[in-house]
Amino acid sequence: MRKFLAVVKHEYKKIVLKWSFILGTLLFPIIAAGFAVVPAIIFSIKGEPTRIAIVDQSRKIAGRLKENLSAERMTAKATQAMKDSLKNIDAPTDERMKNSAEQFVESFVFTDYNADEKSPEQIRRELGEKITSKELDAYLLIPSNLDAADAKYEFRSRKAGDFGGERNLRDALNEAVRSQRLAGANISEAQLKELSRNVDFDAKSLDEKGGEKDTDSVFIASLIIGLMIYITLAIYGQMILAAVVEEKETRIAEILFSSARPFELMMGKLTGVGLAGLTQLAIWIISALVLVGIGVAQMSAAGMNISIPNISPLMVILFFVYFLLGFFIYASIFALIGSMVTTVQEGGQFSFPPIMLLLVGFYFSFAVIRDPNSSLSFWVSIAPFFAPITMPVRILAETPPYWQIALSIFINAAAIAGLIWLASRVYRVGMLMYGKRATIPEVWKWIRQS
Amino acid sequence: MNENNTTLKVENVSKHYGEFTAVNDLSFDVRAGRVFGFLGPNGAGKTTTIRMIVGITAPDEGTVELFGERISNETQNRIGYLPEERGLYKKMKVQDQLRYFAALKNVSRVEADKRIDFWLERMKLAEWKTKKTTDLSKGMSQKIQFISTVLHNPDLLILDEPFSGLDPVNVEFLIEVVAELKAQHKTIIFSTHLMETAERLCDDIILINKSRKVIGGTLREVKGSFSKNLIALRCVGGSAVLEDESLVAKIATHADEMEIELAENADAQTLLKRLIENGASISKFEQIEPSLNDIFIEKITTDTDRIYE
Repeated sequence: MRKFLAVVKHEYKKIVLKWSFILGTLLFPIIAAGFAVVPAIIFSIKGEPTRIAIVDQSRKIAGRLKENLSAERMTAKATQAMKDSLKNIDAPTDERMKNSAEQFVESFVFTDYNADEKSPEQIRRELGEKITSKELDAYLLIPSNLDAADAKYEFRSRKAGDFGGERNLRDALNEAVRSQRLAGANISEAQLKELSRNVDFDAKSLDEKGGEKDTDSVFIASLIIGLMIYITLAIYGQMILAAVVEEKETRIAEILFSSARPFELMMGKLTGVGLAGLTQLAIWIISALVLVGIGVAQMSAAGMNISIPNISPLMVILFFVYFLLGFFIYASIFALIGSMVTTVQEGGQFSFPPIMLLLVGFYFSFAVIRDPNSSLSFWVSIAPFFAPITMPVRILAETPPYWQIALSIFINAAAIAGLIWLASRVYRVGMLMYGKRATIPEVWKWIRQS
Repeated sequence: MNENNTTLKVENVSKHYGEFTAVNDLSFDVRAGRVFGFLGPNGAGKTTTIRMIVGITAPDEGTVELFGERISNETQNRIGYLPEERGLYKKMKVQDQLRYFAALKNVSRVEADKRIDFWLERMKLAEWKTKKTTDLSKGMSQKIQFISTVLHNPDLLILDEPFSGLDPVNVEFLIEVVAELKAQHKTIIFSTHLMETAERLCDDIILINKSRKVIGGTLREVKGSFSKNLIALRCVGGSAVLEDESLVAKIATHADEMEIELAENADAQTLLKRLIENGASISKFEQIEPSLNDIFIEKITTDTDRIYE
């Protein structure tokens, strides 16, 4: 037991006390902070407000237009745009561009301009000069014949290619003109407001108990969890491979095998590296929770309301349990591969299949998010190689009944026992075989020998 | 501290790898406090046997007894093994590695640190305690490997080709250290194919070839049983006597002297008398003890011939 602990301590310190670990652990929270904080910053960058002169020759819609361009409206628009863009990961490019443009809060400053008794040419000239001399950023000429088929609304701006600005202005203008037409059809302002009120589209999902969850944030959170586990498993799995091959390459294995039992050595290795991965994951999850808290607070301050999904302590424990299950499954495989090969490069080639399995598991988690209770989701959250990623995602999206979780854990634990048994057979023999890589038939023989 | 006089008892041990027999019915004893030479050509089965002694692999037939009992985790703690192909963790500090190896032999941390300091000092590597392995030269690495072998104060030391790759100065140094350990009543098993060194150090030897024992016993016994009746001779004249085939079987001429191999039943004293009678002027007449090297070559060659007959 004491020797086992010595191996665990050795492997743990070997990873955790290196710069690469500290850097990697800190990098993720920093990047996550970026994602949380940067949008908040972007939203608060209103940019230079666009100084615009609105010449309303019809004298009917300037007021409405200005209201449409007010700060509150702009902010609300941006919030909605951001929510939409997060949902539509697979949206076509132009739609995404449209979304990104709308996420920037435009602000307009209205400059007064007296257009009374001036001819259109004069107006144009004067405003044009103001723009050239940078007194003004843009002007909008609203013709007096608002509704005529050939009515031309002229918009000139200093900012070339001000994509967002143009869009926002055009949308606001269309709205204002529409309202005007409705008014002209004798519908009062109050009626108008009633009729054109946006529906309050409250999108929430119902879980098994009929409770409500906010789908936006669930999607993001599930994605992040899946990603974290996937990355950690891939990285630490390959660390096992490297550690095992190093001891084989340098022949240290001979000394180790003359000091402790091979099984102790292998389990110590797996446990030590697993603990290091757990440490890193724990730091990541804690910092993620803290940053999400900060991010949400900042966004509410900027006027947007995004709720976070409900994560209970039980869920957090289950996440760690599944990480450990996933780790031991994949780490055993990597230890097995490491015992077979002779160099790290060879090991790298052979680690392709397990990494592929991990990746497939990660992709499955998308399907699970979309429909947590489908039969696909059921099977995929129970199956040994996929469960470690898909089950946590499923738990977050919509917690399955406890018996399913128990079944999943049981099956995976059994798989681990089998894999460890297999791996230790190969480890015991393979670590002392030098020179050439073991072929599959040879490995099979080792497994059958006692 | 040994319970009885025999540190290691190997009895009728065999090991097969599929069709190939690496070790065939091997038996020998290693007595406490002595240096045992485990000799043989490459591929004879030395490393395989050593692995069985040290507990890395198990024999297919026969038994291995250490300190009077079958091998266990406790007995492993009393053995220090320096393999022929050896290495160190690449990016670890010297001190950390030594601490780890000591921990695997159940040495407490405090005790390990003391011994590490002692041995680094002894091997003249004290400044390298906190350096990484990659900073060490090959010779230094090998010394560190040696330290890891003796760090836990083992009663039985097994050194497989410990001198390979060491420069002459370091070879002497290592021999010195081993002599010290022997003076402390440690039992030492040397596996090597360098006969000169074996001759200097070993009390008992065993020679194996192609999985079998060829000859064994104390150094004296082995050399004695092998008296080839060689004479180192420097003389002027007496050539008639030297051509007498009943006396002289072979003559090898070296720089300024001859090596005479006496004939089957010839006697050295007779040769001397006859030479003097013949009027030879003798400046050197010495009975040579056969070197282990000669014994090795002769024995292995005849053994191999036997196998291929």
